[in-house]
Amino acid sequence: MAVSTIYSTRALNSTHFLTSSPSSSTSKQVFFYRRHQSQTNRRFNTIITCAAQQTVVIGLAADSGCGKSTFMRRLTSVFGGAAEPPKGGNPDSNTLISDMTTVICLDDYHSLDRTGRKEKGVTALDPRANDFDLMYEQVKALKSSIAVEKPIYNHVTGLLDAPELIQPPKILVIEGLHPMFDERVRELLDFSIYLDISNEVKFAWKIQRDMAERGHSLESIKASIEARKPDFDAFIDPQKQYADAVIEVLPTQLIPDDNEGKVLRVRLIMKEGVKYFSPVYLFDEGSTISWIPCGRKLTCSYPGIKLNYEPDTYFDHEVSVLEMDGQFDRLDELIYVESHLSNLSSKFYGEVTQQMLKHADFPGSNNGTGLFQTIVGLKIRDLYEQLIANKATAPAEIAKA
Amino acid sequence: MTSIAATGLNVATPRAFVRPVVTSLSAPVRLNYPWKFSSTKRMVMSVKATSEGEIISDKVEKSIQEAKETCADDPVSGECVAAWDEVEELSAAASHARDKKKAGGSDPLEEYCSDNPETDECRTYDN
Repeated sequence: MAVSTIYSTRALNSTHFLTSSPSSSTSKQVFFYRRHQSQTNRRFNTIITCAAQQTVVIGLAADSGCGKSTFMRRLTSVFGGAAEPPKGGNPDSNTLISDMTTVICLDDYHSLDRTGRKEKGVTALDPRANDFDLMYEQVKALKSSIAVEKPIYNHVTGLLDAPELIQPPKILVIEGLHPMFDERVRELLDFSIYLDISNEVKFAWKIQRDMAERGHSLESIKASIEARKPDFDAFIDPQKQYADAVIEVLPTQLIPDDNEGKVLRVRLIMKEGVKYFSPVYLFDEGSTISWIPCGRKLTCSYPGIKLNYEPDTYFDHEVSVLEMDGQFDRLDELIYVESHLSNLSSKFYGEVTQQMLKHADFPGSNNGTGLFQTIVGLKIRDLYEQLIANKATAPAEIAKA
Repeated sequence: MTSIAATGLNVATPRAFVRPVVTSLSAPVRLNYPWKFSSTKRMVMSVKATSEGEIISDKVEKSIQEAKETCADDPVSGECVAAWDEVEELSAAASHARDKKKAGGSDPLEEYCSDNPETDECRTYDN
């Protein structure tokens, strides 16, 4: 919906004329000029900006089987409502739509379907299997509030199905393997997140996921990860340097020689200096602090919880790193930790805890993965509100010549 | 609601089985208009869910076989890597299908009501 104010020239006493500038696609500007000089001998130019609905674009990158779907569900829940596939369309559609958000899976931009990739001997991770031009055009169109016909990649059949119509949403999330690979698409993103799962944890998660499948064995899972690793390291991993927030999941340091992978050490790496994004901190911004909340006020069961906060550099950027090792066993541990974190962008005390409890059945709800995903969700909401507030105060600037 | 035809389900496969869904409805549900329930609908949905899972499971198994064969010839070739990538993709699809089945197929009344919240059986009064 376009929001604009219209001024008629007759309402104002002097002779004015309107010109519309050759504007960008996102906003239209109208210039007022007063032809005759007033006593003050100065020309007043009034610029009235019509802002079309602003679409905020978020990018989420992660390898398959790494928690993207869980993150999406948490994120859409922060904004309210449940995300569902488009009603009445292709049942194998990968798109999720809720009131405020639309989640697009970048697998839909595969240029080669499964047979095509097999013939050429390329994986889905390879940029040759993806149509970045189409991805860029469609994301740009959606950002400018133009609906697009997006192709559908059917994961069951491995074929490219007929396209579906996507309406421009308030918040567009593009999730997949390559949201930050193409530079043009990267420019369109307002915020980007990378889920970096370490090899040991990835192996443990894939075992959990696939051991129930008939035909899979430990060797086949291992072989699958090993075979994809070269392409992953070459094409997907380098995207983490461009992300505004990286959620890194590592094995725990609290249990010596742990190989179960149940307790996790999760690090939230937040880039400094990103517009509308202020990093979460513990106790004091920019300082280094290590905190174990378990003690007299709070009793935790083994292995407990350990938090860490420090400034650091990551790929030549200044970052702040908030780290959590361990698990939450009880509600009061979670609320205790939340009450000591600052700059959470929560709207009321205990909002993070409430969101985590709402989805207590999601994986990662008892450790740092769920906590940091929820916090990033709140940060994105904050970013969205700031962006909207900025564009909505229609900058009626009076420029004096 | 998707019909059987739309899902591309191969009804000829003998592996598809129908669970007696109707019996589970009798338990805690109080219905004012029990004749409005079309039990056939739920049978269709349960058949679709189980068989889709079966289809994907078969595909996963087949793709693992293929990948092992392709890689036995040449473990470093593009074909071998692409084959294992296909295994990964199908495993992910299988796990999503399993999650969907777990989330949706457990309670037939919930499924019916999520699509038809205005019917008398599904109205909730929250004041």
